[in-house]
Amino acid sequence: MAKALEGIRVLDFTQWLQGPVCAQHLADFGAEVIHIERPVTGDGARGVRSIKALPVGDWNQYFLVINRNKKSLAIDLKKKEGQELFCELVEKADVFLSNYPISVLKALNLDYQKLKEVNPRIVYATNTGYGHAVEVNRPSYDINVQALTGIMTRQGEPGQPPIYLGMGSGDTYGGIMSALGIMMALYQRRRTGVGQLIDASLYGAQLFMGAPTLQPFLASGKELYSTQQSRKQAGNPLWNRYQAQDKWVFLCQENTNESWSRLCQSLEREELADDARFASAEKRAANNEELVAVLDGIVKQRKAQDWMDRWTPLGIVASPIQTLKEIAEDPQAWENDYLVRTHCEEVNREVEVRGLPITLSKTPGSVESLGPELGQDTELILADTLGISWERIGELKERGVIP
Amino acid sequence: MSKALENVVVVDLTREFFASLTGAMLGDFGATVIRVEDLSDPRRIDHNRDGMHPPERWNSLDELAHRNKQSLAVNLGDPAGGEIMGKLIAAADVFLTDIPFEALDEKGWDYESLCRLRSDIVYARGSGFGPEGPDRDLPAYDELAAARTGVMPTLVQPGQPPVYTGVGQMQTAVMLALGVVMALYHRDESGEGQIVDASLLGGNMYSQSLDMQAYLAMREDRFLEPISRLDSSNPMSGPMYPSADGRWVTLAMPDTDKYWPAFAEIMGLDVDDPRFDSHEKRCGEHRLEMLQVLERIFTSQPGSHWKRALDEKQLPADLIEKYDYPASDRIAAVNRYILSLDHPSHGEIQSLGFPIYMSESPARLRSMAPCVGQHSAEILQERLGYTDAEIEVLSARGAIGS
Repeated sequence: MAKALEGIRVLDFTQWLQGPVCAQHLADFGAEVIHIERPVTGDGARGVRSIKALPVGDWNQYFLVINRNKKSLAIDLKKKEGQELFCELVEKADVFLSNYPISVLKALNLDYQKLKEVNPRIVYATNTGYGHAVEVNRPSYDINVQALTGIMTRQGEPGQPPIYLGMGSGDTYGGIMSALGIMMALYQRRRTGVGQLIDASLYGAQLFMGAPTLQPFLASGKELYSTQQSRKQAGNPLWNRYQAQDKWVFLCQENTNESWSRLCQSLEREELADDARFASAEKRAANNEELVAVLDGIVKQRKAQDWMDRWTPLGIVASPIQTLKEIAEDPQAWENDYLVRTHCEEVNREVEVRGLPITLSKTPGSVESLGPELGQDTELILADTLGISWERIGELKERGVIP
Repeated sequence: MSKALENVVVVDLTREFFASLTGAMLGDFGATVIRVEDLSDPRRIDHNRDGMHPPERWNSLDELAHRNKQSLAVNLGDPAGGEIMGKLIAAADVFLTDIPFEALDEKGWDYESLCRLRSDIVYARGSGFGPEGPDRDLPAYDELAAARTGVMPTLVQPGQPPVYTGVGQMQTAVMLALGVVMALYHRDESGEGQIVDASLLGGNMYSQSLDMQAYLAMREDRFLEPISRLDSSNPMSGPMYPSADGRWVTLAMPDTDKYWPAFAEIMGLDVDDPRFDSHEKRCGEHRLEMLQVLERIFTSQPGSHWKRALDEKQLPADLIEKYDYPASDRIAAVNRYILSLDHPSHGEIQSLGFPIYMSESPARLRSMAPCVGQHSAEILQERLGYTDAEIEVLSARGAIGS
């Protein structure tokens, strides 16, 4: 099948998470993505050996999955000759992407001004920590940037520690923002013929990620949006989390009398529908602590699936709150290719990987291969793309420009 | 300054925040986004359905999700309204919706029908659970999708209720926009349009993809239960410590060897303490002990002390802030991540701005969220060629609203 991004060449000079994830989205839809790495050690993520204090096992899924569908070119960009060679590649590329600090890019003669001179059509994309407008000289790891946004302090029950939104949650978001910026720049380039500089920073992405509560906070300044809110004081107790006998469920019912009476029926507690404390939307909101306590008492008496079997026919919207084990077996995830199976050369067997969250009906994405070996495509790229002779490739090797 | 999506016309028939936001993001970069408000649809989305967004002066999420759009109010139950919709789609590049599959078929807004009006239409659908599978018709509520996805029970401390963060839908909004622009790019090459789908389930799964991928590959039960912060895998990267005044500190020093000497000094620990003098010991046999020791030391001083001490040594660590921090942060303002606006109805307010910077075609706030039907007459006249007299008739019979 045709690929949406066929013919786009991306120089993916990135490491760890945000940059590689951005390029992964483009590679999934058919762009030729060349992961540019330093010889010997390569992308730092190749060194991941444990996650949450557990050994990663026989294949490094951290690196291999976010660098799938990519080629790898190993080159020493600290050497002048390496930089010159890289510029030759820039001439033949559409996108340059990096999540290295701007100061590093400048030191390697890979700043925007330089590459724009080499190729005015280049879309030059950075993933800075704190934005393009001012240079901020502080580290930008996912968690410490997330800490600044205020979003962590908003999560969880009052009195509990702040909540980190999951490993790499902000990096992953910044990655897709960056992919969107690149695609818009490429779309526009069709009309104008020139590239531009784009930046999607970790801080910018993480602030936007907080929109559901940060936007109302910015507009109103109300504490309600910036501080932890207890589920026991849910503004709509019918739209809330409850603990069934075996696991939690998320009940999502609008706060109307009709919806309340249907719920009471499903709970076999019809008399509650007539309870004066809960007789209107306003009363259910005002007496939320009492209502949550009542529902807590009822919901815990049956298993989650029992409730789902009662609720679904009545059109009561709810879901069991699953674990990772359950989503890993969820047909909804597999049938939409949100999870896929693919061959892993490193261990020579089929493995399960996160799949394709964007569905394009005529030009679908695909997982053709997992992450490349360090520098595996170096010689072929130099020969095929740049037309460099095998003799010169030999010389470049001797001088340590390529491994 | 140019616009990245100049000349792209989007017909926006969305109700949920995430899908509306996709339209706004396209509008931010220059697309003409026509928001269709169906006067025959009695069901209006209640943004306060979760009880967390009581109507203030107005709903500020709408302000974000509908900025840079035009509003056309039309009665789609009236044949004249249907005709307007048809003409609109015939002249559009993108149809953006989050209406359930069944309702789309019923109203004749399925992909095949729209192709008859505009053969190369990019048909973009924000769904709850994706185009396939047994649950494709479940409502597009972020909470439902988040519940399915697996980390709600584990992001919290042990014993705590599962947490709903609301960030999965933010992934989906951008995924849908990315899908649209990829499809537009492909249309330029091939002349063909197609269906684009991005779901809340997919967005939520990607939002937690490292955890999910680790579980898929490793199948360890440790991923299924909450991990106490005092059982963190690296005492110097990831855990949170309370300070004396209740403010929390988080550390991000994965390479502990590099940071240990400076960090040990500010913590008042001996660099050569035999319990902690190597990365292996810190993250291995003495990990739990080190977490306890650091916890004790952090609680001995207020947050401001730690902020100063950590900054002085330029260590990657931060106080965990509240939303008032970005609201007054110069860096957020100069990058236009947060805007200060003089709103025509609500005075001086702040709003989220633009997370993507483009040097030649930057995002712009061209207009605030429109009132329902604010641009009805203008769109009919300028875009669809209706005369003043025709518009008056349509308006009088209630086919359009303004």
